[in-house]
Amino acid sequence: MRNCEQLAPLYEEYALGVLEGEERAELEAHLASAGDPCVSGVAQARWVVSQLALAAPDAQPPSALRGKIMDAIKANGDSARAVAPIEKPKPSKQGAMFPLWAWIAAAALALVTGYTIRQMNNQNDQLAQLRKQMKLATMQNQALQNQLDMDRMVAMVMMSPDSIPLKLMPKDKNMPMVHAYLHPQMGVAITADQMPALPSARTLQLWFVPKSGKPVSVAIFRPDAMGQIALVAPVNVPANEIAAFAVTDEPAGGSPQPTTPIAWMAQVN
Amino acid sequence: MLLAVVQPWPEGKQPTDAVLMERLLQRDSGALEALYDRYGRPVYSLVLRIAQHPSSAEEIVQDVFLQLWRSADRFQISRGPLEPWLFTMARNRALDFLRLKREKQRRREDSDSDILPSAVVRPDPEGDIDRTRRAEKIRALLGSLPEAQRRAIELAFFEGLSHSEIAAATGEALGTIKSWIRGGLLRLRESLEEASS
Repeated sequence: MRNCEQLAPLYEEYALGVLEGEERAELEAHLASAGDPCVSGVAQARWVVSQLALAAPDAQPPSALRGKIMDAIKANGDSARAVAPIEKPKPSKQGAMFPLWAWIAAAALALVTGYTIRQMNNQNDQLAQLRKQMKLATMQNQALQNQLDMDRMVAMVMMSPDSIPLKLMPKDKNMPMVHAYLHPQMGVAITADQMPALPSARTLQLWFVPKSGKPVSVAIFRPDAMGQIALVAPVNVPANEIAAFAVTDEPAGGSPQPTTPIAWMAQVN
Repeated sequence: MLLAVVQPWPEGKQPTDAVLMERLLQRDSGALEALYDRYGRPVYSLVLRIAQHPSSAEEIVQDVFLQLWRSADRFQISRGPLEPWLFTMARNRALDFLRLKREKQRRREDSDSDILPSAVVRPDPEGDIDRTRRAEKIRALLGSLPEAQRRAIELAFFEGLSHSEIAAATGEALGTIKSWIRGGLLRLRESLEEASS
């Protein structure tokens, strides 16, 4: 049996889930009896492996998803805003001895209480509605602000004297041209108008093609409702190592390598 | 367009994950909304990359956040940060979906799907490296690996394949696959440690 030090190189592979057979069994048996150093080593490996999640192409979740999640927890009735169950009063042993006037008073009190609760519920509903509207307005403001920020970044890259303007020519003559501006520090800005709408299961993906090697993904994007594109994405290699930029049509979420023919392309060097 | 939605917090500043998890334990649905605003996008990106299907990804992400709501008491901030815990749970769920898709005859076993990720420890919890920078670092690192080595790591992480399954899928020798993955993960660790220091 190997010790902690000998098994340490396997921690990341274990966290990744690729270990199998004897190696996996040996490590698991060791972890079951090992002390803190090994357990904490595996926990650190889990953190390292979890960071591979950030290599996934950036994708915007559907705007309705947030509401669906919140509706689901409310539907389960376990939201903090749900009204707490009212404890049932224990039947009184003296009940039968209450005079009639006491029963009438109790009934009147119950009616008034019921009315008040109903009014309060109505007000709570209105308040919740107002909060929802405010939240929506805040989100819309934020979305507009983000769009504005992105437009500013695009304008900065476009106007910089250090940027190299490129024209990504469409393979299909009915498609509009995509403009790109490659800046040595800020990355690449791309803009286009009158782009056709994409099916929800598809996305456009921008690649740079190095002088040697395979295309490298730069960004995935979709035209907005007006058919416009304006974005800036980082490019982590110097311009003189890039042979071309290209855009392909890919499944939503993007692809590790192009899976369809090039739809737009511009030579760089 | 790439848009992020930020939920305003009454105090005018963003609460930490630990504070939000504490509020989640008190059944504060606002805390879940804030956590979704913080992590919804990277979790969705990860799940979509694995599931490759937007409507399935949506269901899985919903499932992940509902699980977070239901299992908040099983998360201990003292044992590690929330982000990797959430990523691990999302990956497990998405890989479950992928495996189910591959083996339609097998019925989903609740015991598998309800397994929560074990403790994760970030070497430098106080490190001020934002997610975007880390993402750039990781993408750059993967981009710098030889294509076949990068593909092997992607098959492991995004498709949940084991050493021998990757060897079979790529036609490479098992020893080569092990060496590629071990080397790639070592470089990933070094790169993240370097970024944290």
